[in-house]
Amino acid sequence: MTRLRIGPLERAERRLGLLLLLPAFALLAGVVLYPIATLLWTSTQQMHLAQPWLEGFVGLENYRRALEDDRFWSSMGNTALYVIITVPGAVVLGLALAMLANLPFRVKWPVRLGLLLPWALPLVFAGLIFRWFFEYEQGVVNAMLHAFGAEPLRWLSTPSLAFIATSLAIIWKSSSFVALVLLAGLQAIPASLYEAADVDGASFWQKFWRITLPMLIPALVVAMIFRTITAIQTFDIPYAMTGGGPGHATETLAMYVHRTTIDVLDFGYGSALAALMFLISLSVTSVYIGHIRRDEGTGG
Amino acid sequence: MRLPSFRRSTFLAALIIAANGFIPALWVFFTSMKTETELMRVPITILPDAPTAENYVRVFVDQPILVFMTNSFVVASLSTLLCVIVSALAAYAIVRLRVPMGTLVLSAIVLVSMFPLISLMVPLFQIMRGLGLLNTWPALILPYAVLSMPVCTLVLASFFQDIPEDLEKAAMIDGCTRLGAMWRIIMPLSGPGVFTAAILAFVNAWDEFLLALTLSSRVPSRTLPVGITLYQGEFAFPWPIISAALIVAIVPICVLIVVFQERVVGGLTAGGVKG
Repeated sequence: MTRLRIGPLERAERRLGLLLLLPAFALLAGVVLYPIATLLWTSTQQMHLAQPWLEGFVGLENYRRALEDDRFWSSMGNTALYVIITVPGAVVLGLALAMLANLPFRVKWPVRLGLLLPWALPLVFAGLIFRWFFEYEQGVVNAMLHAFGAEPLRWLSTPSLAFIATSLAIIWKSSSFVALVLLAGLQAIPASLYEAADVDGASFWQKFWRITLPMLIPALVVAMIFRTITAIQTFDIPYAMTGGGPGHATETLAMYVHRTTIDVLDFGYGSALAALMFLISLSVTSVYIGHIRRDEGTGG
Repeated sequence: MRLPSFRRSTFLAALIIAANGFIPALWVFFTSMKTETELMRVPITILPDAPTAENYVRVFVDQPILVFMTNSFVVASLSTLLCVIVSALAAYAIVRLRVPMGTLVLSAIVLVSMFPLISLMVPLFQIMRGLGLLNTWPALILPYAVLSMPVCTLVLASFFQDIPEDLEKAAMIDGCTRLGAMWRIIMPLSGPGVFTAAILAFVNAWDEFLLALTLSSRVPSRTLPVGITLYQGEFAFPWPIISAALIVAIVPICVLIVVFQERVVGGLTAGGVKG
């Protein structure tokens, strides 16, 4: 047994360090860890707040019930579809915005604010605004269709169109954050690379594929992981635009959890659904943590 | 990417970005000055025919928007204060005091606070209900402080790192304690970092919807996002009034980002790219 010899001053410093971490730990324990333990425990219970006399331990019954629940699978499918559509959508739009924003502007504030405003807007407000755009009679989208001689569409009451409308709102809202992250990545690319390419007479697309994209991969990965983590939790925008409808066409897993617990008061089953969601999300987050830790390891 | 100095192409690029960012809000602004009858007209008008402030009056007189606003302000400010204090202490401990496995602690903070809100919402509802805290400010302040802890800790840690350690050593030789040195040297010097962290935390809290919807759904305790989304008109969704309310609710955020735009961008990308 060899103990690292450390001086009394250093030991006092360490003690102070742990003391300073205490408030953060206390907050995390109270607001996150204890609730998660409660969640896992509740997920093994029959617990319906409207039928308190039926409460009791049921083991994994709530999870078994989820596997046989069509609405669970449909909300899961919708969530997956939102991830598949809105993550690449936001990354492509965000990349386009970032490349435009990287041009040498004399006046920078219109560009900066143009990127910041969608980011700063609450998600539900973006949802409300797009709901207003896609209204059948008074909405601006149908007015534009009309101007081009097309028939107006029932955007929010047709399942596939409602999905498209909500996805567009999500992509618009989240692309600005992606753009800001990618812009920082673009600005870190040394100008000398482009100068050398210019000397060799490279075209715009050659420079894009050979320099910009490869150099931007770390920022793209971060943006994509972030967007995926938030896309899994999609709630606000469909809630504000369609309420999950028509039928359950735009209902996500998060919305189904909310409905099962807060509206139906079935906390046992709702907790099992939320626990499943927690596991899915945790696996994506750990990819992200692995990513930053690897970056630190290589000094990148 | 070096483009030849085509002033016109950079102008076009700025126009596209600004249009993408501003047009939705601008459209809402125009709507907020239209009357219900003008909205029913076909084809629709872009600019209001006869701009009216009536919708704004109705938002303040007929709807409890001042109550929503107060709730939003109190919850966002107090959670920001709590978050910045707790994150600053943690960041200082990790950066300066050589806490064993500092990066691991930092990763743990980030991991834990990135747990999905929807999973926390269910047990938090039970816990807050048990404590009798539903529909109170603390029910939102505590979770919101955690919500922004990762970004605040990362931003502050990177600012603290850039301050030369000699400054604190000098202060401590002059008789300052560790905490005294942190308070007198580090905090003033990382003022911009503290500010950035605070703005990000404030915007996060101001925008949050899911927890506010579940933990604080009674009308007098609603925050702005919940209050406006759950507006009930007598018949259809009252778009002119909703639009006016949206404008009222996003003005404070707009002021924040206009005044502090560079810091917000810097903070977001520090939190995003560095972790």
